[in-house]
Order: sequence, then C-alpha cells, then structure tokens
Amino acid sequence: MTAIREPIVGGYIHVPYGGYDYRVFYEEAGEGIPLVCLHTAGTDSREWRHQLADPEITDRFRVIAFDMPRHGKSIPPIGFEREDYRLTATFYSEFVMAFCEALELERPVIMGSSMGGNICLHIALKFEPRVRALVAIEACQYSPGWYLSWLAHPHVHGGEACATSVFGLMAPQSPDEYRWETWWYYSQGGPGVFKGDLYFYSVDHDFRVLCDRISGDVPIYLMTGVYDFACTPEMTAETGKKIKGSETIIMEDIGHFPMCENPETFKRYLMPVLDKVAAGERKLAGAGAGSAS
Amino acid sequence: MTQFDSHWINSWQDAVNDDAAFHVIGRFFTADFLLGFGDQEYVVSVDGGRIERITDEVGIETPWSFALRAPVESWEKFTQRTPPPMFNDIWAMAHPLHGRLQMDGDVKVLWQNMRALTWMLDRMREVPDRTLLEARATRV
Repeated sequence: MTAIREPIVGGYIHVPYGGYDYRVFYEEAGEGIPLVCLHTAGTDSREWRHQLADPEITDRFRVIAFDMPRHGKSIPPIGFEREDYRLTATFYSEFVMAFCEALELERPVIMGSSMGGNICLHIALKFEPRVRALVAIEACQYSPGWYLSWLAHPHVHGGEACATSVFGLMAPQSPDEYRWETWWYYSQGGPGVFKGDLYFYSVDHDFRVLCDRISGDVPIYLMTGVYDFACTPEMTAETGKKIKGSETIIMEDIGHFPMCENPETFKRYLMPVLDKVAAGERKLAGAGAGSAS
Repeated sequence: MTQFDSHWINSWQDAVNDDAAFHVIGRFFTADFLLGFGDQEYVVSVDGGRIERITDEVGIETPWSFALRAPVESWEKFTQRTPPPMFNDIWAMAHPLHGRLQMDGDVKVLWQNMRALTWMLDRMREVPDRTLLEARATRV
C-alpha cells in the first residue's frame, strides 16, 4: 500500500518589519500566479489545507498560506508576555506586504477570510500597485461586536470558549467533520490572540468612510456565506456597492469559514473567481458601484 | 408552530440526558439557568452533566445564574432540524446586530460552560414531533 502524500511543503522565512525579525511559518503548493491566503482571527494557515492540496487550483497558482506572528507555528515577538496584544490595520496590512516582499512575490493575489477579508480593503487602499487582485471572503466595511473580554479571561477556558463562540458561524449544511476540525483550530490559539485579532476585526477596521476611496483599478471579489452572522450577506453587499470595480458573490449553504468548513461548496464559488483572476479579467462595473451575483 | 410546553421541555431533557457525549462534555457543568420562550419561562438545573430537574414555577425562590430569553418565533427557528441563517446559534441570535435573543445575569457562568451549554441546546433539534410528545407523561 502506498501512503498518501500531500503536495504541500512548509517552510520558515524571516520577515523584517518594524525593526524586528519575525520568524514566519508558511505552507505552499503549486506553480504560477502567487496566491497568498490569509487565515481568520485566532487561528492559522491550516484553514487553507484543502485549497493547497487541490490540483485544479495549484496547476495555475502558487498557493501560499502563512501564519501571522503569534499564530500557528509563527512565534510571537520577544516581550509578548508583557503586552496586551491588539492587532491593528497598519501592522496587519504592512506585515502581509512585508511577507510577500520577503518571498519576492510578483504582484500576488491576496485572498483572506474574515479579518483576512477585511484587511483586503486596507491593502486595496494602500498597496494597490503591488497586488494583482483581492479575494475578500466574509468581508465588509465594519464588523462590530466581537472585541469581548471573556475571550481572554482567566476564569474561562480560552480554547473552548473561543472555539465554541465561532462554531455557530458555520452553516448546518457544512460537514460535521470539517466544522469540528475548524473548532479544533480555534481551540489551539494562544491566550488573548483571538481577542487581540478581534480588536482589528471589530474596532480598528472601520471602512465606512473609506470604501469609496478605493480606485477600482485592482479587481476585488467580495464573497460571503449566508450563514455568516458576523458579516451578513447584506453587510457585504452594502460594502460592495461602495467599492468601485468590486464584485459581490453571495454563497448559499455556507458560513464564515468557507475554505475549511465546506471546501467542496466553496470551490463551486471560488473557481469562477480564480478563472477571472487567471484570465486577467477586470470586472469593472459602472463608475462608483460594484456588481453583485 | 412549536409549543414550548412541559411535553416539549421534558422531551428535550431526555434528549440531553440520553446523549452520551454530553456526559463527557458537560461533566463539570453544574448550574441553574433560565430559558425563556416568550412568556413561558423555565429554570433548568444541571448537575455534573445531567439535567436533574426543570421547573416552570419561576419566582424569587427559584435562583438562576444566567438567562436566555427570546421570542417564541426565534426558538421555533433555532429548533428546526436545519435552522435558517441567523437563527442557528445562540450567538447568532444574541449578536447586537440581530438582537433576537437576550442574555442576562451572571454571563461568566455561561462563558465558563459554553461548550456544554451549546451542545445541550443543540439537542432541542432532536425533540420529536408533536404527536409523539403528547403521548408522553409530563414531569415539569
């Protein structure tokens, strides 16, 4: 019997940023257009394991998923034990680009979910010439209500509380095995990391007056599942209407973690987007408004 | 329309207590909490991963730590075998954006036991149809 060996390979790269040398873990597979995948708050790059192992994606894209500092196998910076960790839009957006620069990626596609989706809006505004396209999953202009003290409280089991608080963000149609695998990822975050990420997600990220400043020169695909109660389809659609050149795609029977809660359903929606990206198509709707499907 | 009456709540109690996984997940869950289905309120007493009793005589001598109150319409959607978006989870219903469920009281107890609590609430979707419920005796 021959064992199954996945095509994913892992590595570490040192990313200089802000006077510090971050040791960052990443996984990659495939060749072609660089496609950098951003994980959700409080977890890590394992969320993208299905896409990293999908030959229909990796035959055209060099898929790369990395762990943000403090997440997964990327260790926190020295002195973390003295800090009240709060992820900011500035650090997050600049760090993503610093990672891409360290890997010498040429105009990558950035694809992220949840906080990884929201940061795509910041990247669109600040780093447009350096990216080819943005796939913002479960993203919207403003997503309040998640910066909660209970998520990092010594009287509460952080792993169980963080993981269970997001479980209902997944659709009941998603397979149990994948929903519980996602729960498992969430149960393994470091103390205060999920909460600190949510500072960006619910506090520092507020694009309500910034959406219309995005030029529309880079394609932006906004993809949201109908079971996402943190970023509802209506919230995404409202955001899409304000972003020039964006396309809003609402996904049925799926929730806040499309890539890992139901990779099969997600793939049906993702492949047409990747086809457009590969073709270099720019789905520019009329001036001042995005399109919806 | 679901009637969240004594037949129904007793059947849910049985579904929770018959659930083998809940004995593991909820073994440290000991608390009294209130469930409000519109005007109908119950205090559920859990002891070491088992619902010991449920009472609908809720007064000043019926202490509870935290409360989950929602309109009957919210619970009807929550308890469907495949609940619709925004009603599949207590956090979905309670999120400030949606406001379809109210959490009150000592919510620290809720956070401390959240995995067990949500597991047992999910068992509400296993309560049998009305005709089967009415054939049962009631204990509340």
